[in-house]
Amino acid sequence: MINNERLNRSRVFYFSLFVFFAFAFGFLLIVLQNLVLPILMGVLAAYISLPGINYLKRKNIPKSLAIIILLGVFSIVVFVIGQKVVSAIPSEKENLELRIQLQYKLDKNFLAFLGKENYSSEGNIIDNLVGDELNQMFQSVTSFLAFNENEVTEFQTYIDSSLVSERILFFYIENLKQPILPAPKVENAKDLNYQSSDASNLNSKSNSKISLFLKAISTWIILPFVFIFVLIDEGEIKSFFLGLIPNRYFEMAFTTFTNVDKAIGNYLRGTLLQSSLVGLIIFLGLLLIGFKIQAAIFIGIIAGISNAIPFLGPVIGLGTGLLYAIIVEGIDPIFPFLPQNPLVGVLIVVLIAQFLDNAVFQPLVLGKAVNLHPLVVVIGVTGGSIIAGFWGMLLAIPTIVIVNVVISTIYRQAKAYYIIY
Amino acid sequence: MEDLVKTKSLWKDFSRELLTHQSKSVIDILKNIPLLSQLNKRELKIISKFAYERTFEINEFVFEAGQPGAAMFIIKEGEVKIVKLNELKEFLEIAILRSGDIFGELALLDSSPRSASALVSKPTKALAIFREDLNNLLKTHPEIGGKIMMHLAIITGQRLKTTTTHLVQLENEYNKLKGLLNDKQ
Repeated sequence: MINNERLNRSRVFYFSLFVFFAFAFGFLLIVLQNLVLPILMGVLAAYISLPGINYLKRKNIPKSLAIIILLGVFSIVVFVIGQKVVSAIPSEKENLELRIQLQYKLDKNFLAFLGKENYSSEGNIIDNLVGDELNQMFQSVTSFLAFNENEVTEFQTYIDSSLVSERILFFYIENLKQPILPAPKVENAKDLNYQSSDASNLNSKSNSKISLFLKAISTWIILPFVFIFVLIDEGEIKSFFLGLIPNRYFEMAFTTFTNVDKAIGNYLRGTLLQSSLVGLIIFLGLLLIGFKIQAAIFIGIIAGISNAIPFLGPVIGLGTGLLYAIIVEGIDPIFPFLPQNPLVGVLIVVLIAQFLDNAVFQPLVLGKAVNLHPLVVVIGVTGGSIIAGFWGMLLAIPTIVIVNVVISTIYRQAKAYYIIY
Repeated sequence: MEDLVKTKSLWKDFSRELLTHQSKSVIDILKNIPLLSQLNKRELKIISKFAYERTFEINEFVFEAGQPGAAMFIIKEGEVKIVKLNELKEFLEIAILRSGDIFGELALLDSSPRSASALVSKPTKALAIFREDLNNLLKTHPEIGGKIMMHLAIITGQRLKTTTTHLVQLENEYNKLKGLLNDKQ
């Protein structure tokens, strides 16, 4: 009788405690949502680095030194790649020039595709059949490249100060001849209202940039700390959580934790390696077909990161490469037998990278760790994009894999330990 | 301000004492186990980091026969009975283990099912050492892992010899009894 009462009291106590912590955790998660991503990335980086730390420890390097070495390597890699990427990001003037160039090239390619010399001339069979529809689609795409009034004035000042090369000027004049004239965008009206004087506008612009930078720093500064403390941990975190588990489930909980840890670790490290290899292949391929090193790094990184998104990833990589290939000029492949047309070159490089990924990297690196049904993958990626945009798409499959591994391992272990039938 | 400093240093001293005391006592226990007796203090300290302490009540099972083995247990204090169910569904007592004894050590080799159950007969504190942690130790500190594995092999070999001797003795007794029965008939 007494035991029953005690048991009931315990149940109420533990349930209340659970509800309280669930609410507290949920509340903190909402309030501190900006910290979630940096913390997750820190844990992820530490998780991926663990075998590296163990390797250095085996070489008789103290753990603290091993962590410093890894952190140094990470910082250098991020700094070097970051610098290359930042230098590849165009300035205000370069951005305008890039858009002019892109619009000109797209126009030219579009007209060539329809077999026309200009918009008023007769085209080929495609033009006769779906010319109008294609034209509409094309106009909606190129409207993103069109200048608004501010940008027209800004570019005019560059022309007046003779800062624009003749080639770009030629493209600009050619663009103006086409029926797809630069139309002021909707947001332009807003811009004009806000604009009191150039100086104040510039000031507020730089201020917002600084505040954005500071905001990013204040949340992302946590990443290296999380990275260091997760790596320094000598099993205290695991020990703490295992301490909360009742004796009956203790051995099972440990085994489940270890199995899940191994499976997720292998999967994450495998995915990272696979994405890096794809990025590297694309980077090297683009270098071979004559792309500039900055552009090759930039496209390689985008293709590598997006490769983690099934189906859509290769398309993003290919799209970025093709976009660059359209605007780039004077490409000289390193070897004469390589394609002279950069579009064909990008297509071949991406195809080779995808072939190697599917035939060699995936089977070798991931094995059968992620045999998800294609339907699950499609629904997962779409759902991820609805919930959290690009990050959602990127993290959807790892999340599904992790949940899948956790549930299947708990189920298997619970059966083995006679907890369920 | 001074008070704060005092409180801080007091807390620091207290926590340090508590921690050193805890890890010391775990190291002392580990030191007296034949399986780990050849390890030095530094090596024992490394082992103590993944020795999980658990508290068990009377009549609680540490593990049951048939469950996959994942950990070896070392009794810190208390008493544990190794039992096995017979055909009549009664528990047969195979051994009584006390402070400093180890059980379930074969789980350090593989995850094959436990051959018997471990039932707590007095309130017990035990340390659990898991196979997976030992496997990791073999990667990070091969010299320590190697020593433990070597000693585990020696202990298992000795037990096999003892079991064989017991089996031979039993067979002799059985043959003797069989001979006596034949003589009577």
